[in-house]
Amino acid sequence: MYFCAPVTEVKSLMKKSSILGLIVIAIAIALIIGLYGSASTYGSFKDAKSTNGELHVIGYLDKTKELYYDAAKDANYFSFFMKDKKNGEECKVIFTGTKPQDFERSEQIVLVGEMRGGEFHASHIQMKCPSKYTQDKVEITEASAKKADL
Amino acid sequence: MDTAFKGEHLLPGQLGQFFVILAFASALLSTISYYFATTNPDQSDRSWQRIARFSFFTNTVSVIGIGCCLFYIIYTHLFEYHYAWEHSSKSLPVYYIISSYWEGQEGSFWLWGFWQAVLGNILIWKAKSWEKPVMTIVSLSQVLLSSMLIGVAIFGERIGSSPFILLRDAIDLKGTTPIFASRPDLYHNYLSYITDGNGLNPLLQNYWMVIHPPTLFLGFASMVVPFAYAIAGLWQKRYKEWVQPAISYSLFAVMVLGTGVIMGSFWAYESLNFGGFWAWDPVENAALIPWLTLIGAVHVLIVYKNTGHSYFTATFLVLISFVLVLYASFLTRSGILGDTSVHAFTDLGMFWHLVVDVAIFLAISIWLLVIRWKELPISKKEEETYSREFWMFVGSVFLALSCLQLIIVTSIPVWNAIFKTNVAPPNNPVTLYNVFQAGFAVVVTLLAGFTQFLKYKKTDTTRFFITSLVYFVFAGLITALVVYTSGIYHLHIVFTLVMLGAIYSVLANAKVLADAFKGKIKLAGSAVAHIGFGLILVGAVIAAGTSKVVSQNNTGEQYSSEFAKHNDPKENIMLYKNEPVKMGDYVITYLGDSLSMPNHYFKVDYKLMDANGGLKEEFVLKPNSQFNPKMGLVSSPDTKHYLFHDLYTHVTMVPANSGISQPDDGHSETNDDQNYDPPIAHEIAVGDTIRFREGYILLAGLNKKAQVQNIPLTGNDVAVGAKLEVVSHGKTYDAEPVYMIKNGSAFDFARKVEDAGLKLRFSKIIPEKGKVEISVYQQPESKKAYIVMKAIQFPYINFFWSGTIIMVIGFLLSIFRRNKELKTV
Repeated sequence: MYFCAPVTEVKSLMKKSSILGLIVIAIAIALIIGLYGSASTYGSFKDAKSTNGELHVIGYLDKTKELYYDAAKDANYFSFFMKDKKNGEECKVIFTGTKPQDFERSEQIVLVGEMRGGEFHASHIQMKCPSKYTQDKVEITEASAKKADL
Repeated sequence: MDTAFKGEHLLPGQLGQFFVILAFASALLSTISYYFATTNPDQSDRSWQRIARFSFFTNTVSVIGIGCCLFYIIYTHLFEYHYAWEHSSKSLPVYYIISSYWEGQEGSFWLWGFWQAVLGNILIWKAKSWEKPVMTIVSLSQVLLSSMLIGVAIFGERIGSSPFILLRDAIDLKGTTPIFASRPDLYHNYLSYITDGNGLNPLLQNYWMVIHPPTLFLGFASMVVPFAYAIAGLWQKRYKEWVQPAISYSLFAVMVLGTGVIMGSFWAYESLNFGGFWAWDPVENAALIPWLTLIGAVHVLIVYKNTGHSYFTATFLVLISFVLVLYASFLTRSGILGDTSVHAFTDLGMFWHLVVDVAIFLAISIWLLVIRWKELPISKKEEETYSREFWMFVGSVFLALSCLQLIIVTSIPVWNAIFKTNVAPPNNPVTLYNVFQAGFAVVVTLLAGFTQFLKYKKTDTTRFFITSLVYFVFAGLITALVVYTSGIYHLHIVFTLVMLGAIYSVLANAKVLADAFKGKIKLAGSAVAHIGFGLILVGAVIAAGTSKVVSQNNTGEQYSSEFAKHNDPKENIMLYKNEPVKMGDYVITYLGDSLSMPNHYFKVDYKLMDANGGLKEEFVLKPNSQFNPKMGLVSSPDTKHYLFHDLYTHVTMVPANSGISQPDDGHSETNDDQNYDPPIAHEIAVGDTIRFREGYILLAGLNKKAQVQNIPLTGNDVAVGAKLEVVSHGKTYDAEPVYMIKNGSAFDFARKVEDAGLKLRFSKIIPEKGKVEISVYQQPESKKAYIVMKAIQFPYINFFWSGTIIMVIGFLLSIFRRNKELKTV
């Protein structure tokens, strides 16, 4: 049937849907490039020294060194030492904010931030605590008093 | 041997496991029977259909049976079951038992399966000629959901995860607990050592968590219905008729899913401390993605119904919406998000199971589209440029594109897994999402505005341009006013444009609504829904864009020049107990804490002063922290709601020893003194005052008949009390330390004034001078009780919530309208 359509109409059909199609493709490409441009990288402290701008560093808290947070002096200053996962390099980390709850228990930390001088300034801290899911240990409570009942 | 263990109740679990298997088997039988009922050339033969219906009813009963067994196990605290031990505890109130149901993945799969069973029964009742093909798909989906709960190993691979697994099977008790390792003879009696469960995540102990998951999962479950209709339409070559019922069910699905998503956002706002109502967390995105595509689908379905255009787009969007629901459940449940989400998702070993689930439905969709491709009623005629259908179509495409952006970024860990790359998520995902999604919102809202002035098929162009332009100018004026007063112009320009689009959409649809009241009542539903959507955006942009941290604090000490140079915003403020601090327009005081297990409340008094220093308003907020053995401290905010803004407060840090003030037992004196600065002795007479750091102490008089509990006085014994009035931060406290001579030796009994951080001793009487000696022990600053908190102001957030309610009303009106048009055969 559509072979009978006037030539001009077929032409205009090509035009409008192609324009829309092109716009859609252009936006889709822009989104992917946008992702590529905005995506960050996982790096080490060494990488952070040579990079301008922020990046992600994964590492472990050095529990032998001091975690410094004294709300009485400054409620927005928290510092600690972390070893990065890649090279095991240690660096002092400063975070403008309060000490996250249970920070000492963290198993792994993901920092987002940049190196300033010799210190890593984190703008975001994400920590992985031993979650209830991985904690496959049953806490046994001595229930000697109760045992007598059973 | 099972009987070797003392005190176990195995019946409820065995019954539950029986129902799990029955649910799976009956769903499978139902699928097969419905398939043959559909393909049977002799449609008068109803035997397959009877079997199919019977097995689906059996499935429904089994699903309810699973629920009852699980409820019984949690309710009666049968901790021999891993699920009960993991997700509940004895102290849990009954209504939170319901929440503990869906703390685990098994419970939420059950919930999904339950709703799908309910919807299946409605379809059997209502779908008439569509029942057989539609129920084939719904049953198939039920097969996959039931299979997630099986938890039985087949060929060495465990399929699914059952909620009825025993604790001793789930966890190697012998290997991980020292008692049983050293004394295996005790193992048969292990249950007597397990006195309580792990308890429910404190964040889920919130009334919103009782109703948010059921709503959300009803939304997810109902997405299968339009999908099943689209597949049935392709399968049965009934390309036109499936649209009408699909519109109604799609409207229902977007209404319920949208409500569920916003309920989740309200829960996050009320009880999480990330400081807002939306954080673009992968979990939130996972629910939003299918919602956006199905909203797009609803619009093109209406276009197709009215004009015959956009058949392919409508089918595609309906199909992809359900596939994306499954993809979302893969994202959030397979553990693939790993480091990128703060949510602790588990890999229950169902990674490939979830992949298969997505793949099956994607394959069915693609396969049917391919084999039917040549027959599809794809219109060869171009839509008119000035027609409603064309711009509705464009709007839906943009909704799908905004969804594409969410998928691309949220799926970064998936790309990493597929392409073996190691790309990190964006450093500042919130800003990225905000800007991109706002860009799409501008287009979508403008379209939702001016499309209202277009008619289907063909519109009078001049009139269209005049009306839409008039409304546009009007919207521009209001936007200018809003942008100026709220301060949005400080933000990225795109947010001003969203505001313009949203206001334009509200105005244009208000006109439609006004027309609806004049008689075109049919149009009311869409107009109301669009107005609601516009208001949601208005509220979201103002509240999120201009929210202000009120607890700005720049009094902190500077640690290094490097640190000072960047002058990062300081958003936390420290409050010592009973010391008022000025914060913005408020004077706030930390009054103290109280414990109501398991919540630890911190009372913060807010005083709002007017220009003359008079008290305008006073209220107390009680943000709380809950100590949970599994999760440590979990803080929840407390919010003061006003009509036009909210004041949101949460505790970001409490000193580790803060706790609950210990009762003064008067013992261990020497130890106790370490909590104070070295004492200062003052020689004073009655009427004199002593100054200390935070006030003064007045010696009001001496009490010659002082009594000390449990110490009777005899003969020459003397006990004198010093009546002291301690004035600190505008409050007066009384204290009476006692000096005593008993049997010729001198003693004294100190008194503490906790709120002022003081300990007072009546250390000497100096008769020759007519004076007494009072030793003042003062707590050093660091030992005083304090909290660190953050306060945020959210302006106009009520637009966001009320917009949601209005949108839901709009959906409801539309469903009523579409159901009236519905004449199913």
